[in-house]
Amino acid sequence: MAAVRSLEFSRRKTNRVMGGVAGGLADTLGIPDAYVRAAFLTLLMVWGLGGVLYLGFWLMAYDKVEDRDVVAVDNGRGLGLGLAFLGLLLLLEAVGWWPNPALVLTAGALAFGTAALTDSSKPGPLAALMDPNVDRPSRLRLILGVALLFGGLSVFITSIGPVFELGVVFLAIVLTGLGIVVGFGPWVRRLIVDLGTERNERIRQEERAEMATHLHDSVLQTLALIQRTDDPARMAILARHQETELRDWLFGAAPLDGVDLVSTALKNAAARVEKDHQVPIDVVTVGDHLLDKESAPLIGAASEAMVNAAKHSGADRLSLYLEAEDERLTVYVTDQGKGFDLDKVAPDRKGIAQSIKSRVEKAGGTVEINSEPGDGTEVVLRMPLESK
Amino acid sequence: MSITVYLVDDHRLFLSGVKAELAEEFRIVGSAFDVDTAIVEIRGLNPDVVLVDVHMPDGGGIAVVEGVTESNPDVKFLALSVSDQAEDVIAMIRAGARGYVTKTIEPPDLADAVRRISTGDAVFSPRLAGFVLDAFAGAIPPEEDPELDQLTLREKDVLRLIARGFAYKQVARKLEISIKTVETHVSSVLRKLQLSNRHELARWASKRHIV
Repeated sequence: MAAVRSLEFSRRKTNRVMGGVAGGLADTLGIPDAYVRAAFLTLLMVWGLGGVLYLGFWLMAYDKVEDRDVVAVDNGRGLGLGLAFLGLLLLLEAVGWWPNPALVLTAGALAFGTAALTDSSKPGPLAALMDPNVDRPSRLRLILGVALLFGGLSVFITSIGPVFELGVVFLAIVLTGLGIVVGFGPWVRRLIVDLGTERNERIRQEERAEMATHLHDSVLQTLALIQRTDDPARMAILARHQETELRDWLFGAAPLDGVDLVSTALKNAAARVEKDHQVPIDVVTVGDHLLDKESAPLIGAASEAMVNAAKHSGADRLSLYLEAEDERLTVYVTDQGKGFDLDKVAPDRKGIAQSIKSRVEKAGGTVEINSEPGDGTEVVLRMPLESK
Repeated sequence: MSITVYLVDDHRLFLSGVKAELAEEFRIVGSAFDVDTAIVEIRGLNPDVVLVDVHMPDGGGIAVVEGVTESNPDVKFLALSVSDQAEDVIAMIRAGARGYVTKTIEPPDLADAVRRISTGDAVFSPRLAGFVLDAFAGAIPPEEDPELDQLTLREKDVLRLIARGFAYKQVARKLEISIKTVETHVSSVLRKLQLSNRHELARWASKRHIV
C-alpha cells in the first residue's frame, strides 16, 4: 500500500501558499514543503520551467477534499531528492537550456537558503542559535542555509554591475546579511513560534477527540443505562463494571482485554453489549485475523454500531458477521428493527454514524450504512489489509 | 394431517418449553431424555421430524441419527443445540441431520424450521452458514472431486446472507431470486456438506467416528 500511496498525490487544502501543489508533493515525497517550493522557484528561473511543472502537477493532482495522511519526513529520502534535483540542473546546463547561470544560481541559493532557515518541520533558526541542546543536523542545516544565502547574494552582486574590489564585496555581503538578520529576524521568529503553537494545538485537539470517543463509548453509555434503570442492584453492577473499565483505561491495563484475535475481540465486544443492553447478539465469524493496528479500529466501531442498534432499532436480536479474507476484513452489524430514513436522521444519531465512520476511515477502511424505514439497518465496516 | 414431531433433549425444562411452543401447530408424538429410549421410540413411531439435542450422554444426537436412519429413512432430523463447536455441528449434518439451529431461536422461527425440514428442505442457522463458508474456504486439493468440494458463487452469496441473520425470504429479495431457488441452493450446500471429501470435513468427521 505504501508503494501505491507514493504514486498518487493530492493538492493540500490547508497550510498552502498557492494551489497546494508543492505542499501536496512534499507530503507525498515525505520531505519538508519548503524545499519543494524552493525547487519550483529555482526552476522558474530556467525559462519558466518551474511554472510549467507547477501547472502540470496541478493538473495531475487528485482533488480529494479530505486532508491526506502526511508521510513522515525522511532525511535520507530528502537528501536523495536533493541530489536528483542538482543533477537535473546540471543536465539543463549541459543541454544548453541554462539561460543565465548567475540568475539560476542566485535564485536557487536564495530559495534553498531560506527554506533551510524556515523549514517548518525542524526547530527554527533563532531557536537553534539560542538553544545549546539543538541536535547537530539542525545546526548544520542552519549553517548551510546561511552560507547559501550569503553565497547567492555574492553571486548576485558580482554578476550585476562591474566587478567590485573583493573587500567592498565582502563588506556588502556582511552588511546585507546583518540587515536581513536584524530586519527579518523577529518576523521569522514569530512565524516559527506561531507554527509551533498551531502544531501543539492540533495535537491537543487530536488527543481530546480520542478521549471523547472513548468516554462516549464507555462512561456516557453507562450513565445513560443507569438513568434508565430502576433496579438498584443492576445500577450497582453497571457502575462497578464501568469503574473497572475506566480504571483499566486510565492506568494503562491491557487494551481490548488482552485478546489477540479479531474474532475473539468481536465476541467479547458482543458479549458486553448483550450484557449491558440485554439484546441477544448472534456472532458468526468466517476466517480470522490477528488483532493489530489495522484491525483494532473495527472492534470499537462494531461495538458502537451494536450499541446503537440495541438502543434504537427496537429489534429483539442483532447479528454480527465477520468475514476475514487475505486482503480485507468485513464486519456486518445487522438488525431487523424499525430502520430509519438515512436522509432524515436526528442530529444526535448522525453524530454516532460520524463517529463510527471517522474511526474506520482514519484507519484506512470504509463504512456503509444501509437502512430503510421498516426494513432494519445494516452497518458494513470494511478494512483493507496490507499484510499477506 | 398435521406434521408429527418427536423431541429428544436431556434438559427437561427446555424440552417442556419447546413442547409447549410447538404443540399448537404440530402433533407432538413423544419425547425422550436419553439416547436409547429415543432410538427405540422413534423406530416405532416413525415421526415426520425429530428435534434432537446435540450434546447428550451416550453418544449424543449423532447416536440417535445413526441409530434410526437405516430402519426409518424417511425421518428427518433437525439438530438443536447451544453448542458453538463447528465439529459438533458439521458432524451432525454429516450424520444425516437436515438442519441445525441454536436454542436461542425464536419460537416462530423454530416452527418455520420444522415445517421446512418436513418437506425435505434444509435449515441453516447463521452459525451453520458461517461454519460451512469457513470449511469450504480456500483452494481445493487437486485429487478431490471439484463438483462436491467447492461452493458456487451463488451458494456462497446465499450462505453469507444467512450468516448475516437474514431469513430465506429476505435472502431471496436481496438476491432477486425466488424463495424456492434459495431453498435449492441451501439443499445443494447440504448435499455437498454430507458427501464432500474435503479434508477439513473428513477431519471433523473422523474425530467423531462417523466416517
